[in-house]
Amino acid sequence: MSTTLTDRPAAITRDAIRDLYDDYYATLDEVRLHDWPEFFTQDCLYRVIPRENFEAGYTLSTMQAESRGMLKDRVTGLTRTQMYAPRYYRRFPTAPRIVSGLGVEENGGVRTRHNLLLVQTLIDKPSEIVLSAVCHDLIVADEGRLRFAERVVVFDSEMLPNSLVYPV
Amino acid sequence: MTIPVRPPEGRLWPADADAAVPYWVYSDPEIYAEEMRKIWYGPHWLYVGLECEIPNVGDWKTATLGERPVVMVRSAQNEVSVVENRCAHKGVKFCQARFGHSEELICPYHQWSYALNGDLQGVPFRRGVKRQGGMPADFDLKQNGLTKLRVEEVNGVVWATFSDETPSFRDYLGEKFWKHYTRVYDGRKLEVLGYNRQHIPANWKQMQENIKDPYHAGLLHVFFATFGLFRADQKSAVDIDDEGRHGILISRKGEQEKTEAMADIRNFQGDLVLEDPRVMDVVQEFPGEETVGMITIFPSVILQQQVNSLTTRQIVPKGPGGFDFHWTHWCYADDTPEMRLRRTRQANLFGPAGFVSADDGEVLEMTQQGATPSPDAHMILQMGGRAIESTDHQVTETAVRGMYRYWRKVMGL
Repeated sequence: MSTTLTDRPAAITRDAIRDLYDDYYATLDEVRLHDWPEFFTQDCLYRVIPRENFEAGYTLSTMQAESRGMLKDRVTGLTRTQMYAPRYYRRFPTAPRIVSGLGVEENGGVRTRHNLLLVQTLIDKPSEIVLSAVCHDLIVADEGRLRFAERVVVFDSEMLPNSLVYPV
Repeated sequence: MTIPVRPPEGRLWPADADAAVPYWVYSDPEIYAEEMRKIWYGPHWLYVGLECEIPNVGDWKTATLGERPVVMVRSAQNEVSVVENRCAHKGVKFCQARFGHSEELICPYHQWSYALNGDLQGVPFRRGVKRQGGMPADFDLKQNGLTKLRVEEVNGVVWATFSDETPSFRDYLGEKFWKHYTRVYDGRKLEVLGYNRQHIPANWKQMQENIKDPYHAGLLHVFFATFGLFRADQKSAVDIDDEGRHGILISRKGEQEKTEAMADIRNFQGDLVLEDPRVMDVVQEFPGEETVGMITIFPSVILQQQVNSLTTRQIVPKGPGGFDFHWTHWCYADDTPEMRLRRTRQANLFGPAGFVSADDGEVLEMTQQGATPSPDAHMILQMGGRAIESTDHQVTETAVRGMYRYWRKVMGL
């Protein structure tokens, strides 16, 4: 659980955005899966979607959640029902670019974009890229902290190396 | 006891022929090359795509059948052509995008141009330049077009075959499977919802086997068993065609409950509750009580109807040790927005990150890892006995046995 963020004021500054991303990616890289849904608002939209779907206007996604509850279900599915070979995931985000200024969005949020490489390492195998993506995020102040109201990860990768196991 | 088999040299087949299949079927490069010739380019219909993907004349989609690239193109208002994506001149794979639109098909190398149906129309400098060069006088455009495949468009799905000997698609399915096929592909217009693509490092036959094997579904897929989507104690059936090559797993959804059969399912999660159960908001939309119809059409595709999730899953072999898996998620063109959303939500169960399907990709890779180094060891396919017949339960590997018996017949092994 990220304890530091809740102590901070929820102003959406460049520094606060940077901290949000640092905490978000550390949480995932360290596989603290149960903390992951807390980075999202209650009625968030989360998608990991192939670029060809996104550009064609399709919403069909490789992973999708329409609420924090669905993100929790994703964690439950992963930890209690799914079978997969052990692996490490490490995420390499670029610095976020702010694409809409404060107050432009209806809910006072800020839209950002950044590129993301997701690298996996399986036992006895060299590390490989799972996907190369651009993240379209909407960040809002919510309950005294910053959260994602939307996170749409649009991946260029045409052919995923087998499974996408953990969230991105 | 084993029975010698040729080719390939030195390979043996276990005497328990239907219920024991040696692992070299997954890894032998000679066998794989034979499969390309006898199965993929032989008398079998191969899935190419959906008719709705190319609505207008000149729209095209590229695909791979076996290992050969093809173009599926709407060559006239009511005509879909499938031609090899290989210029007759030098073999260039001239269409590189997944989708496109053009008046004609042109190779970028020397600009040979083809009509949308594959006929060669023009060769630059055919008559030479300033009376120099040019093609011989007897060069015949008609004899040098793109390779055209036989095509059938059947209730929204485009099928093609490289062989002149393939029977009509309906005869290829047989009457039983025609009925299964038209239960979902009933002539209503289809529409694409989106795609998923993944490479699974496992022999292509493993994917066919996986959807011919209902035994695993309630065991490997804890999500299925827990939420009653597919479980051994539910009323279900396995049907196979007369040749043993096509199969369907039929089941009906039950409740999340602990039953006697659960004792054998180690990971059953009786207390698991979804925070947001909209992903399991299932409606009955097809006639009858069945909620699942998973069809395997040999060799190239799985036609999935699992609750309200409808997909075609195309298999593209990439050598003996892997295949590309192309998922096309679709809906009916007259679906309500609610139904489209429901199908899109349920897609969370399937594809490379599916609560259920990711298990399959993983376990197929693990099977390839275990089987490849021991080609002369064999699998045990005795669940449900040794018979190859349709059953009214799913505790059986009958459809897997059926596929291998047909496979041996086609391969001459």
